[in-house]
Amino acid sequence: MELALFVVLAVIAVIAAAGVVLSKKAATGALFLLLNFCTLAGLYILLNAQFIAVAQVIIYAGAIVVLFLFVLMLLSPGKEESQDRKPYIRVFAVFLAVLMLGEVGYVAFTGVLSGTPGQYTPEKIAEVGNVQAIGQVLFTDFLLPFELASVLLLVGIVGAVVLAKREL
Amino acid sequence: MNISSLNLTAIAPQIIIIITALVVLLAELFTGRKSLLAYLSLLGIIVAAIASWYIWNGTEQRLFAVPMFQTMAVADGYSLFLNLVFLVTAALSVLASINYLVRERINHGEYYALLLLATGGMMLMGSATDLMTVFLALEILSISLYVLAGFNRADLKSGESALKYFLLGAFASGFLLYGIALIYGATGTTNLAAIVDFLKGTGPMRGTYLFIGLGLLLVGFSFKIALVPFHMWTPDVYEGAPTSVTAFMSVGAKAAGFAALGRLLLYAFPTLLGDWVWALAVLSVLTMTLGNLTALAQTNVKRMLAYSSIAHAGYILIGLIAANEAGMAGVLFYLLAYAFMNVGAFAVVIAVGREGEPNLELSDYAGLGSRQPLLAAAMAVFMFSLAGVPPLAGFFGKLYIFSAAVQAGFVALAIIGVLNSVVSAFFYLRVIVYMYMQKPIVEARPVLAPPLALAIALAVLGTIGLGLLPTPFLTLAQQSIAMLFGA
Amino acid sequence: MNQLGFPLLSLIIFLPLCGAVVTLFLRKEAVIKWWALIVTVANFFLSLPLYFYFQSGTAEMQFVERIPWMLSLGVSYHLGIDGISLFLVLLTTFLIPVAVLSSWTYITEKVKEYMILMLLMETSMVGVFAALDLILFYVFWEATLIPMYFLIGIWGGERRIYAAVKFFLYTLAGSALMLVAIFVLYFMNAQATGRPTFDLLELQKFSVPLAAQTWLFLAFALGFAIKVPLFPFHTWLPDAHVEAPTAGSVILAGVLLKMGAYGFIRFCLPLFPAAFAYFVPLMSILAIIGIIYGSLVAFSQSDVKSLVAYSSVAHLGFVVLGIFALNAQGLSGGILQMVNHGLSTGALFLLVGMLYERRHTRLIDEFGGLWKQLPLFGIFLLIVTLSSIGLPGLNGFIGEFTILVGTFQANWIYAALAATGIVLGAWYMLTMLRRVMHGPLDKPANRQLQDLSAREIVVLVPVVIFIFLIGLFPNLFFGKMESSVDTLLSQTRATISMGEPNP
Repeated sequence: MELALFVVLAVIAVIAAAGVVLSKKAATGALFLLLNFCTLAGLYILLNAQFIAVAQVIIYAGAIVVLFLFVLMLLSPGKEESQDRKPYIRVFAVFLAVLMLGEVGYVAFTGVLSGTPGQYTPEKIAEVGNVQAIGQVLFTDFLLPFELASVLLLVGIVGAVVLAKREL
Repeated sequence: MNISSLNLTAIAPQIIIIITALVVLLAELFTGRKSLLAYLSLLGIIVAAIASWYIWNGTEQRLFAVPMFQTMAVADGYSLFLNLVFLVTAALSVLASINYLVRERINHGEYYALLLLATGGMMLMGSATDLMTVFLALEILSISLYVLAGFNRADLKSGESALKYFLLGAFASGFLLYGIALIYGATGTTNLAAIVDFLKGTGPMRGTYLFIGLGLLLVGFSFKIALVPFHMWTPDVYEGAPTSVTAFMSVGAKAAGFAALGRLLLYAFPTLLGDWVWALAVLSVLTMTLGNLTALAQTNVKRMLAYSSIAHAGYILIGLIAANEAGMAGVLFYLLAYAFMNVGAFAVVIAVGREGEPNLELSDYAGLGSRQPLLAAAMAVFMFSLAGVPPLAGFFGKLYIFSAAVQAGFVALAIIGVLNSVVSAFFYLRVIVYMYMQKPIVEARPVLAPPLALAIALAVLGTIGLGLLPTPFLTLAQQSIAMLFGA
Repeated sequence: MNQLGFPLLSLIIFLPLCGAVVTLFLRKEAVIKWWALIVTVANFFLSLPLYFYFQSGTAEMQFVERIPWMLSLGVSYHLGIDGISLFLVLLTTFLIPVAVLSSWTYITEKVKEYMILMLLMETSMVGVFAALDLILFYVFWEATLIPMYFLIGIWGGERRIYAAVKFFLYTLAGSALMLVAIFVLYFMNAQATGRPTFDLLELQKFSVPLAAQTWLFLAFALGFAIKVPLFPFHTWLPDAHVEAPTAGSVILAGVLLKMGAYGFIRFCLPLFPAAFAYFVPLMSILAIIGIIYGSLVAFSQSDVKSLVAYSSVAHLGFVVLGIFALNAQGLSGGILQMVNHGLSTGALFLLVGMLYERRHTRLIDEFGGLWKQLPLFGIFLLIVTLSSIGLPGLNGFIGEFTILVGTFQANWIYAALAATGIVLGAWYMLTMLRRVMHGPLDKPANRQLQDLSAREIVVLVPVVIFIFLIGLFPNLFFGKMESSVDTLLSQTRATISMGEPNP
């Protein structure tokens, strides 16, 4: 059952990813991206990571893709820009992609995940619940990163205002 | 867990800086005089410096070198010394900015807030003991700098600079994050102390994940500190950004990158350093040589200083490669010296410009020696110090780093470094040639604004002071790295 | 430790620096000139006790001062002089006031900056000769570059920028490798003895492994050879000399070049004795090429100043030859010849400068028959020329003769070849004298020339006094250096006899 779901979701995810790259229209690409995010969320659920799955849908599929679509609507790139890219860039890109694939494959097949398991084993998570466990950790062990993330967001907001506001 | 176990006071300097940033943001609403915000920022910087000093010297041993926030960060000698570097950089940059912002018509309070937030990010990078903290601190720093680089919205070059910096910076962050993920996969933790324990347990066995993860981490940092061949963004970004921002980021961002890299390589991954040391050595040689050779060809002073800052990253990297106490103390000393001389040099670049005329070309410096003797003398001090001529700060920085390299057996690297400083002397001297040995084209004598003059004077003082009395600072640097080497 | 109980060397080094700081706050040009003169003359008189209190019978360092500077690294502020450096310190403190006085009317622009640089120059040069710590030495050594660079670059002739940058980069490149060699030496010693130190006297006790000696010697020697300058590293010198203002040339020829030769004696010889001995043939041959080549090129110069500049290449060749003879005569002759060259070539540059100030040209063809117009000038030029070519009774003879005796003992072929250099030297110097001073006074511009002023005589007379003093009473000088030279050589021989280095 799990395997079947995984295969289905994975295949859709790959197709959607390819769609993002290959689609001519930006709006189609954005929709493919949405699909990809949703299948990834499904994969997370299969991994028993419900929180990330939900976050994935809310933040990426919800906020970010919608933002993309907004931008696309505002800019309305009706016609494609002329494609005067030099051919070697394409070759180089393919080369890089293949290299990256090889790297990931190599690591996946030869590397040993030797890390020491922490206190949150799947059993423990099943016991206290995924969201609770994350909340617990987030506000104790990872309090500082959590606070830093809020500073980071502040920087982002200030930056956006500075760069985009008509008059400061 | 309770509040006291967070050890909040130990992170006080960073908190003070970030709170000052918030206060500056708010205060802008209520005041029309923007220079007030600058002085507010300076106040925050000074208070943060005092706090750092208190933690270092405080009788309360609970603060010093005790992990805080569940081992997410630490206030040890290393981070406190770096606080000094960052705060000096920030203070000098703020002083140099006050009139520059007015002149460029970009005098907005957000500038100081972003500058302070970036400083906070840098300080956090120095004290981070968890890859998660490192990454977040780096992002705070980087995003602030992207925005600062584009702060002059009327100037197309500034926008181009911001965009370039942002794209390549995001790219680098990607590498970094991927590297962190792989390291997490291999060790099961992002905490440096836990990684050390883990590596002790596994002994010489090293996983592919760890190896590649560290490699990606190095690539990410190489982008951030602009090592050749990951430096392509630097000249354009440094040239396009407002000069005061260039001054700040050419020192601060670089120092922060080295700070985190130093802790990672020497504290967490000393066993893996051996695998990567030759890659680092190649990077260092490329960085020094290409940086200097390209700087030779520049006629724009700002761009020349950009290439020179690439070359300096190469010298500093030698100290890391040496991976001994002398080398790391040398790196810290060099960063402090570099903060004074490089921010000083950019401050002079600001001073030479005028409203509507940035005066960045070498020919604009012609006859500066007779037009503004003191300003020219200050620039000469910075140039000689950057070239590494004794008895100035830059010389002793190089001295420590190269001697550490010889000690660690990297004689060839030291020779290449020394030869590179000879090459670099040529283009630093050219500025002096123009200032003192060419007839002036313009005869005007622009008046130096007091804060800018103060910034330049302090920088000169630091450059000469570190040169004549290097001992206390070197001793301080040596004490501060003890923690990295498990003393 | 210190026979005076008083840090005299530090005072001599830092008095000019303090003088320079005070100069910053002076406004009137005349005041600045007088102030600089007073400071430098006072410094010269301060340095005289070095001679009178110097104990001749010992090879120990004297007037020693030692304060830890960068303790953790083993760098100390260690000063001291022996019979080898004594006269170079005195030469420096003597030539600087002469140079200041000679610039009285020559320098009209930026007088304040000029005098400050002169004073800084003195500080760094005395420092070079008195430093007994390698890092301290290196700091002073490099610090001499900055003021000289400005002196040439700001107050120089037409191609001053080219000359200044060339001078700076050549010397910097030479000394860069020396710095690495210093580190290597430091860590070798620290590893072997467990006492990390940059102290020269400590490092001398450490015998460097033979294989490493060669490389370390070469790294040090490159820096010194460029400074001397030894053929083929001499190309910066004529440019620098021709473009430099008179006082710059005087200091350059009088003191800066000596730093190179001094470095060979003070560092290369005691630290790497075996390599030193191994490289004797190479260095001697380079020195001889320098002597003959410098003389021949000097002969073909049409500019008096570049003639004198090339003669420096030849004279310094003699000095190096003497040093590499590795015996007492050669070495002490070399040291004395350094002083001689400083005096006579310094004086030549002064005279050329005075001529240039009057006539604004230095081309030999533009002169002729000046004797009738400038008799006083002629007398001084005659004395100095004769001193330069080594007339018995004057200083040059003593130095060159002693060097040749030393070289002859070591290798008679070298001595024979070098002797031709003396002949050539007499030839081109006397030709120059004839073409400038004798013959008909046929250029109308030369008829309006004024003879020497009182100030110019005051500049020249002390130099001439010393020219005679050394020529007539050489033992006043040899006596002081004897035991230092002997001890240095006997130590060296003891180490060399232990084995030859592997190339």
